[in-house]
Amino acid sequence: MTVFHDAATRVECDSIARWKKDGKPVVGYTCSYTPAEIFYAVDILPVRLRGIETDGMEVGDSYFGPFICSFPKCILQLAGKGRFSFLDGAIITPGCDGMRRLDECWRKAGEDFEGIVPDYFYYFDVPHKSENHGMAWYIEEINQLIKSVEDHFNVNITNEKLQAAIREFNKGRRLLNEIERLRCEKDVVVSGTDVFAAAVAGTVMPRDEYTAELKKWVSALKKRKTSLSEGKHRVMLVGSISDEIDLFELIENTQKALIVGENLCFGIRYEGNEIAEDGDPIEALAGHYLGSSVCPRMYGKYKERLAMLKERIGQSRAEGVIMQNIRFCDLHGAENALFERDLEAMGIPCLRVEREYGPHIDIGRMKLRINAFLERIEGRKKANKGDGDET
Amino acid sequence: MSIVAGCDVGSLTAKAVIMKNGKIIGSHIIKSKPRPKDSADAALEGALSAAGVSKADIAYCIGTGYGREKIDFVNEVVSEITCHGKGARWMLPTAETVIDIGGQDCKTMKLDKDGNVDRFAANDKCASGTGRFLEVMAKVLHIDIDELGKLSAKAKNPITLASTCTVWAQADVIKYINSGVSIEDIGAGVNTAMAVRVAILVNAVKPEGDIFMTGGVAKNIGVLETLEKLIGKRIKRSRKADPQMAGAIGAALLSMEKIDGSGNNRLK
Repeated sequence: MTVFHDAATRVECDSIARWKKDGKPVVGYTCSYTPAEIFYAVDILPVRLRGIETDGMEVGDSYFGPFICSFPKCILQLAGKGRFSFLDGAIITPGCDGMRRLDECWRKAGEDFEGIVPDYFYYFDVPHKSENHGMAWYIEEINQLIKSVEDHFNVNITNEKLQAAIREFNKGRRLLNEIERLRCEKDVVVSGTDVFAAAVAGTVMPRDEYTAELKKWVSALKKRKTSLSEGKHRVMLVGSISDEIDLFELIENTQKALIVGENLCFGIRYEGNEIAEDGDPIEALAGHYLGSSVCPRMYGKYKERLAMLKERIGQSRAEGVIMQNIRFCDLHGAENALFERDLEAMGIPCLRVEREYGPHIDIGRMKLRINAFLERIEGRKKANKGDGDET
Repeated sequence: MSIVAGCDVGSLTAKAVIMKNGKIIGSHIIKSKPRPKDSADAALEGALSAAGVSKADIAYCIGTGYGREKIDFVNEVVSEITCHGKGARWMLPTAETVIDIGGQDCKTMKLDKDGNVDRFAANDKCASGTGRFLEVMAKVLHIDIDELGKLSAKAKNPITLASTCTVWAQADVIKYINSGVSIEDIGAGVNTAMAVRVAILVNAVKPEGDIFMTGGVAKNIGVLETLEKLIGKRIKRSRKADPQMAGAIGAALLSMEKIDGSGNNRLK
């Protein structure tokens, strides 16, 4: 578990440092719509860009302004401070408008802070619809990205290499799904914090190293007997982008809750489905990354997302859902309100809370709301038991 | 029946309540000290003295409020949202919707038939709509915060505060003072600005049944009456106890439930 926690809590973790030491390139990307297999296929380490370990916002605020999500601002802050100096390239994707603006803000900041823009800096566009022309457009974007990577890094991305990368990534996906099944058991033997750390680690570690570590960990988990769910409320965590182990700890350190599932931009939502290992690998990547998307940036998919969330709640036996959105995150702010309306109507307690990202999170305020929510679940349980006794 | 206690350490005041047989036998409120532990100790000491009992007589004590985790004499801690819900139901047994305005938080809760919080909404943006807003304004006006509420009734031409930001609203208030606007008209504007912020939160939970207000701001008649107009519903009053004590009362009631299950809070 240590290797996962290291990878999940440090911008330049040991795995990245080792990769660089071998003289191999690293490319950062900002969004779950970037097919990381393209890079891994040619020995370039794809690393999901994150905003952890920021200790100020003077760079981020200067270029973005105050009224925008703190996640892309934290990425720019780290870039401005030279914390991404290990990057040989960066891919910016319009996951949302804040992330799209990271492209221009980073470039502009590069005029003032020498050397913070990697030599290879690429804007990878992603349509908001996955049907017909949307899918055709996305495939074209993938082909252009491949061509660009080949030209810049002097590599040849063949179908065979892509298929090998897909196979390697799928091994991790299958293992993560095994963990998800363990979280659905009556007695859960693993904390949400640890599972999330493992999932986040998968976005920064070399995949073969990751698969090997994950395999060992899953094997150990299957032998565990001690239930962590006993006497705790099972909750799901959903909403805005989060790679923050601290947020999971904040909830689980109440000693009253265990996170049994999440629907976040990192985690199982990103790694949930396997990619077809035969046929055209580019179509397979497009089908996975765009076609099976469960992110509110995609138009007209709310009902699908609600159905998926409901199914996950049922499978994991969650007693309540904590919905967080980073301040100024319109996508999740709006969707959380709809989820709350619809899930509460189904009798599923929900907590909707707005917050800042990562190191800027206001812990006291969050703790109050989380505790009150868990007490609400407790009160409801007791009342139901009481009513049951009376009848 | 055992003696129980509840201690609510808020950002502005700390409160302690001692209960026996479902009745308050002692209570005490103080201005919060820098350290929550010191506030809790002083509040409890005052309440014990008022009740004429000693710490050793307390069978169970629950702590609440922002400083709850720093109180060393409590048996357990519970969030102030739950405690205010319990306290409000005890003060007004028909209460179904509770508005609690604390020093740095504003919450609206809907209670189930047992007095448990079924839904709640809390301010997520800033200090506007909290007790701190009124405290800052009272200070600028050089009046006691308890006097602020009475100004609304005496106002002839209340001002309108353009900003919801406490700091900018403060700058506006200073501008009105310097322009010679009466304290009554400014005070009424301050109370209205506060009520507007709270009304947004109240409407967010769709208030039902009898509405009750807790926390120190519940004693500000100017905010209370303006809020009633804004939400179009009457906010019920109770003489049973000081609404500012509701969190500590709720904590004491939960203590009672813990030891003998007698903190019945069923809706009447």
